[in-house]
Amino acid sequence: MSKNSSGIMRQKPMTPWMYLLPALIVMITFIVYPGFNTFYLSLRNNDNSGWASTRCLAGQPCWGVFENYRYALTSPIMQTAFLNNLKWIILMVSGTVVLGLLIAVLADRVKYEALAKSLIFLPMAISFVGAGVIWKFMYNYGSSQVQIGVLNAIITALGGQPVSWLTEPQINTVALIVVGVWMWTGFCMTVLAAALKGVSEEILEASRVDGANEWQVFWKIMVPQILPTITVVITTMVINVLKIFDIVYVMTGGNYGTEVIANRMYIEMYKNYDPGRASAIAVILIIVIIPVMIMNIRRFQRQEEMR
Amino acid sequence: MKKRFWLPIALLAIFAMVMAACQTAEEAAPVEEAAPAEETVVEEGLCAGVQPGDEITLLYQWSGTEEEKLNAILAPFVEECGVVLKPESTRDQALLDTKVQAGTPPDVAFWNVAQLEQYKDTLVPMDTLGANGDNYADFFKDPGTIDGVWLGLPVKADIKTIIWYSPAVFAAKGYSVPATWAELDALVEQMVANGDVPWSMGMESGDATGWTGSDFIQDILLVQQGPDYVLSLISGEIPYNDAGVKQAYETYGKWAADPLYTVGGAQGTLSTGFNDAILKVFSDPPEAMMVKQSGFAGGTILEQYPDMVYGEDYDFFPVPGAQGMQGGADWLMVFNDTPAVRALIAYLSSLEGGANWAKASFDLSPNKGAEGNYVDPALIKKGAALANATGFTPDLGDTIPGGFGSAEWAAIVSYVNGGDLDAALASVALAQSEALQ
Repeated sequence: MSKNSSGIMRQKPMTPWMYLLPALIVMITFIVYPGFNTFYLSLRNNDNSGWASTRCLAGQPCWGVFENYRYALTSPIMQTAFLNNLKWIILMVSGTVVLGLLIAVLADRVKYEALAKSLIFLPMAISFVGAGVIWKFMYNYGSSQVQIGVLNAIITALGGQPVSWLTEPQINTVALIVVGVWMWTGFCMTVLAAALKGVSEEILEASRVDGANEWQVFWKIMVPQILPTITVVITTMVINVLKIFDIVYVMTGGNYGTEVIANRMYIEMYKNYDPGRASAIAVILIIVIIPVMIMNIRRFQRQEEMR
Repeated sequence: MKKRFWLPIALLAIFAMVMAACQTAEEAAPVEEAAPAEETVVEEGLCAGVQPGDEITLLYQWSGTEEEKLNAILAPFVEECGVVLKPESTRDQALLDTKVQAGTPPDVAFWNVAQLEQYKDTLVPMDTLGANGDNYADFFKDPGTIDGVWLGLPVKADIKTIIWYSPAVFAAKGYSVPATWAELDALVEQMVANGDVPWSMGMESGDATGWTGSDFIQDILLVQQGPDYVLSLISGEIPYNDAGVKQAYETYGKWAADPLYTVGGAQGTLSTGFNDAILKVFSDPPEAMMVKQSGFAGGTILEQYPDMVYGEDYDFFPVPGAQGMQGGADWLMVFNDTPAVRALIAYLSSLEGGANWAKASFDLSPNKGAEGNYVDPALIKKGAALANATGFTPDLGDTIPGGFGSAEWAAIVSYVNGGDLDAALASVALAQSEALQ
């Protein structure tokens, strides 16, 4: 505040806080307080009647007050969940981004662009639960002669043996990821298509005049230009996938080795009535997501600066 | 300025009118309802202290025809005491949990046995409420007794240790109902030899997949080990990875994972919904000969095949050789002690209440007053099976709290899916010791 500033601009030190107050109240009530309470609960036992160390069993390893974290990090079911989340990240993020980019580039060159894009975007409008139910039918495995699942109907019509898509280990997690890709490709496509429209025609024109083929134009001009957007899409998708719950809950309930972190959190909380373990899993999930979020925010800021 | 002047006055006037309206209503109500009160209270001791118009808030999972049956059972009580029932029907247990945690629980909830343990500090004991315990067998009161206090009134029971089949198909193929476990085993092998699939064991049930298997395995335990063994599993004296449990799993797995013995083999067991599994036995032609499922299966069959006749097209027999019955009950639990609630408990725990429950054909009633009052032939047979049972065990997964139930289901699913049995049982045993520490 310089001496020259006019009276209108002069503020008391408290004034900015007054403007921030409503936002702060909302943030503290709904984010900060529940966050700290979750951490507190994660150190408590299953009915919040004592510290988690009281849950330790004689003759079993024990992490004292961090006993719930021992479960969340070392139990076989949670390790399955971590491994599956990793599969989800690798397959679903690459699947949605690659397909989204491909469709965005290709749709850019056809007359019925709007129609094609709407069709790809359509699954986004379906709720996760709805999509789960739809795909459960697609994957249906009829033990009788009649296969009502589309996939198995095709396989048996071609003379093959029906596959129990959702219960066969190795196949089932991939089958679930396909549903995720189907739902989220539209989102990636829309964001990437918007970025592609921002690549200036002059540069593309110039490169083509200079003799670059389409492959080179794509890799050397388009991709570098939209790289910041691609990064944002990737990080957004990673956060989405880390939190994946609905598809798994509806289609397999986490059974047959398809468990993921968020579903385990739900089961511990609402089926086993164990807020301690559920909170510990929640805290771990937050810790895993935070670095990705920071990366995402940094990217956003850099993008803003470029404008 | 003029407008602004009139606005508060207008608001005040409206406010005054509203207040006046409310007041008259409050004064008028008791005058109208006071008269019938005296008549009924004098007639029966049941409604002692109850003011007509008293409300009871209820929370239960029943809807549709089930809710109608409950209303029919409660109708004499409602008429007698003039109470007003405020029911809420939901299958979402989170609603009950939220209400209790918020300090606004329903007066009465009809829920599962696990909630008696969960809310043991909040519930009003049945003895305080004056429930008539003499009308219930001990094996029905025991699961509802937590730390020595009787907390839940069993109102509706279902037996699980039964096998459904089609008498018509059995007759056509020359099969007869087995009387011992050895006979059942022989019958199963005979069916396989004839090219029939003996069992339909589908157990898919969303995030609860596996419970059908856990019922089956508990019945096998009742055959091979007996009810005391099962009760020792519940109390934790016997760990879940005991040799007896492993033997039961192996007996079950021999059937559940083999396409010769069950529809679709292991993948069929895992991916067929439990309701579809029931219907496979009664389709034309039948895909399987038998399905082991609780008493509710009769309703599922009728819903799909309304023309089927009980005793001809579908029927059941108790699991042969089972020493004791496995069953589940719905429990009435009380969160608020009021005269109206006491009257409700007095009615339901009376012999008359049990008889009315039986007449309404709303499954079995654990109340002794139900005996001889069933009108539905299937219920008469179920009631007899229950009466002849030498012992009674509640469902393991429902009774052991915490993560045991879901661990048990996960173990069964993993075993049927080809996983290692010892590792699966060890994980359940761990959940068992964690739950019972």
